Amino acid sequence: MTEKQIITGKNLMLRALKEKGVRYIFGYTGGAIMPIFDEMDKLGDFHFIMSRHEQGAAFMAQGVSRGSLSTDKPQIGVCMATSGPGAMNLTTGIADAHMDSIPIIAITGQVTTGVIATDAFQESDVIGVMMPICKQTYMLLAAEDVEVTVHEAFYVATTGRGGPIVIDIPKDVQNQSVSETYRFDAKTFRPSLPGFFYHPTPEREPLRRAIELINRSVRPVLFCGHGVITSNAGKLLQQFAEKVNIPIAFTLHGLSALPVDHPLSLGMMGMHGTVEANRAIMAADLLISFGMRFDDRVTGRLSEYARNADVIHVEIDPSEIDKNVACSVAINADVYRTLHVMLGDPMLTYKPRKRWFEKIDSFRQVMADDLRREIECGVGDDGRLLMKSIVHQLSVLTEGKDLIVPDVGMHQMMAARFYNYQTENSWFASGGAGTMGASLPMAIGIKLARPDERVWSISGDGGFQMNIQELGTIMEQQIDIKIVILNNGHLGMVRQWQTLFFDGRYAGTPMQSPKFGLIAEAYDIPYRKIEKLDEVTPALQQAIDHHGPILLEFVCDASEIILPMIPSDGGFGEMIVSRPGQEKTATRKSKGGKS
Amino acid sequence: MKRRAILAFMLDRPGVLNKVSVLIRKKMYNVDTLTVCSSRVEGISRMTITLREDDQAKVDQIIRQLEKFTEVISAKELDTDHSYWREVAIVKLEVDAAHLESFRGRYNFEVLDQKEEDILIIQLAGATRQIDSFLEEVGRQYIIEIARTGVAAMEK
Ligand SMILES: Cc1ncc(C[n+]2csc(CCOP(=O)(O)OP(=O)(O)O)c2C)c(N)n1
Repeated sequence: MTEKQIITGKNLMLRALKEKGVRYIFGYTGGAIMPIFDEMDKLGDFHFIMSRHEQGAAFMAQGVSRGSLSTDKPQIGVCMATSGPGAMNLTTGIADAHMDSIPIIAITGQVTTGVIATDAFQESDVIGVMMPICKQTYMLLAAEDVEVTVHEAFYVATTGRGGPIVIDIPKDVQNQSVSETYRFDAKTFRPSLPGFFYHPTPEREPLRRAIELINRSVRPVLFCGHGVITSNAGKLLQQFAEKVNIPIAFTLHGLSALPVDHPLSLGMMGMHGTVEANRAIMAADLLISFGMRFDDRVTGRLSEYARNADVIHVEIDPSEIDKNVACSVAINADVYRTLHVMLGDPMLTYKPRKRWFEKIDSFRQVMADDLRREIECGVGDDGRLLMKSIVHQLSVLTEGKDLIVPDVGMHQMMAARFYNYQTENSWFASGGAGTMGASLPMAIGIKLARPDERVWSISGDGGFQMNIQELGTIMEQQIDIKIVILNNGHLGMVRQWQTLFFDGRYAGTPMQSPKFGLIAEAYDIPYRKIEKLDEVTPALQQAIDHHGPILLEFVCDASEIILPMIPSDGGFGEMIVSRPGQEKTATRKSKGGKS
Repeated sequence: MKRRAILAFMLDRPGVLNKVSVLIRKKMYNVDTLTVCSSRVEGISRMTITLREDDQAKVDQIIRQLEKFTEVISAKELDTDHSYWREVAIVKLEVDAAHLESFRGRYNFEVLDQKEEDILIIQLAGATRQIDSFLEEVGRQYIIEIARTGVAAMEK
């Protein structure tokens, strides 16, 4: 007599994950997820990484998805948590993934079906909480639904605009066995979602009109958004820009799609974008935007945004078209395919645009000297280090080739602006949600996805302490990331707003930190504190030479600010280009765009 | 504000209604009416939502966001000129039966129940405005209870 193998929900869950190429599972156990954990351990098919907080697991999963999308083996990050508090601790990381269109799969244990909706121990309405902050939720009520659902979840997560998926699985369903007649064939599986449309290929007519507008335009600007990264279209965009000779401005998430020092690059646009990008947008007669959504930090006050420009909007998500900025031509398609078709269009013409580039050069000059001086000086009035100079030195030392994972705040904007991104998909930031604490755990996922590249996690003293517990994960797994704290003793970005808009009243921003050296020691991570300018490069070099994780703490000037800045809700005309009290540059010179 | 009707077809899966109502709340609308029923095709539900919005761009935006839901198959706006919007009301009212009869012809109703001499339960079908005006004409003070289905709509 042969022993019959009993197949249960947990077996099918892990089988489906394996089928979808999952290698890493990040998570934290607890009563309601124990059966899956137990099975995972028995199988040994996955590399399980225990985060020290479920939020960390969600960001690590993001790191895997973000980091690997440009490799020849894209992976989807998976995180797991128990019911109730475990699942609730995932929310921030999931909401963050949703805002940034990052496909991840979150699997949460749930109390047994018999006690659901009775306020059972560690029960929370996971689906109810997650529904508005993720792309799709599933609740599994039968073991036979597990594989179909997990496969559909991967399809939904990665098709069209990416996003996180939450699968809630009650404990009894994990242990439930399927009938002998149960069959599932992953090879032939096609999700049955008649309403889930996705138009990868551009239509002819809008393309024709787009090309017409491009050929006619005198002062065009290309926008490189996140969609360029997620569709791996950086090289195509560069070719396109060169072919038509049009400057490129980047959204925060568009950075690193192509070398940011390309002669046609204007750098980043928006609230802390470069003067040249923002002024060019103001003066433009045509914006050609690829894979972005005109977020308010990109546009400032909408009524004043690019009033004289036509807009061509290439975007995979139709609900983004005309949402914030009305467009003249909408191309609802994949960025890569659109660029591919456009590049082959014989009607596309090159123009020298001498006048336009001269104008842009004049925009470049507005802040160039100030910034150069600051970076060269390297310290503020009190002799403490300037973040921009540290980032600049890191950029020079690594030739702009490393992977940069900033946290959220002033240092993030410094890292966005002053690192010279050369490697495609080398910049990973929490953008839409702007979640402090994202960097440390996300960098772990990035390093696992890109083991052969150097990864820098750069945080402020505030954000670093929001997920500081993940040093435990780094220690345990010996994750080789270079951890940088730019410590200005304050919640710097908020402090900047207080300096500029709250008459210098610093409510809730000064911050005492622990001795990071002792923390590092506790986690067995080498540490160095840097206070002097001439130690910056040697310290960075030490981190590069060191094999394994290392923590560098730079003592920074609290009064440093990041400019330019378009005040929130302000128009582009209100861009602040010099520190108050240092009124050497007119701030509103060209208000109103085209004259 | 202009009343709008949005018709959507969607997979009959758990949580879809929740999703739609969360979207409408997120967009800060107060739903006027919302009706759901099964459609001609098994497994597909039909939903009619009415809400108030003057700005056409905002209505288009809601429709796009509805369509974005994995389960939603199609969504579109129905305008009053090219579609029928109807609802049914069940009304318990105190009215002289003879007086009620005088409304016949102008309103399409049916007496469901007459417990006491002048307490009746009637069923009334028609456009929202018609039901409203019936209630006005009878006099709101004579109405004891009212149940309305909300708008169901269909294109011409
Ligand atoms: C979880 C979370 N809480 C609050 C904020 C608001 N916020 C944005 S930037 C910032 C300051 C960050 O300070 P720090 O981490 O020290 O970095 P710095 O700005 O000094 O570089 C704060 C509080 C946020 N983005 N995320």
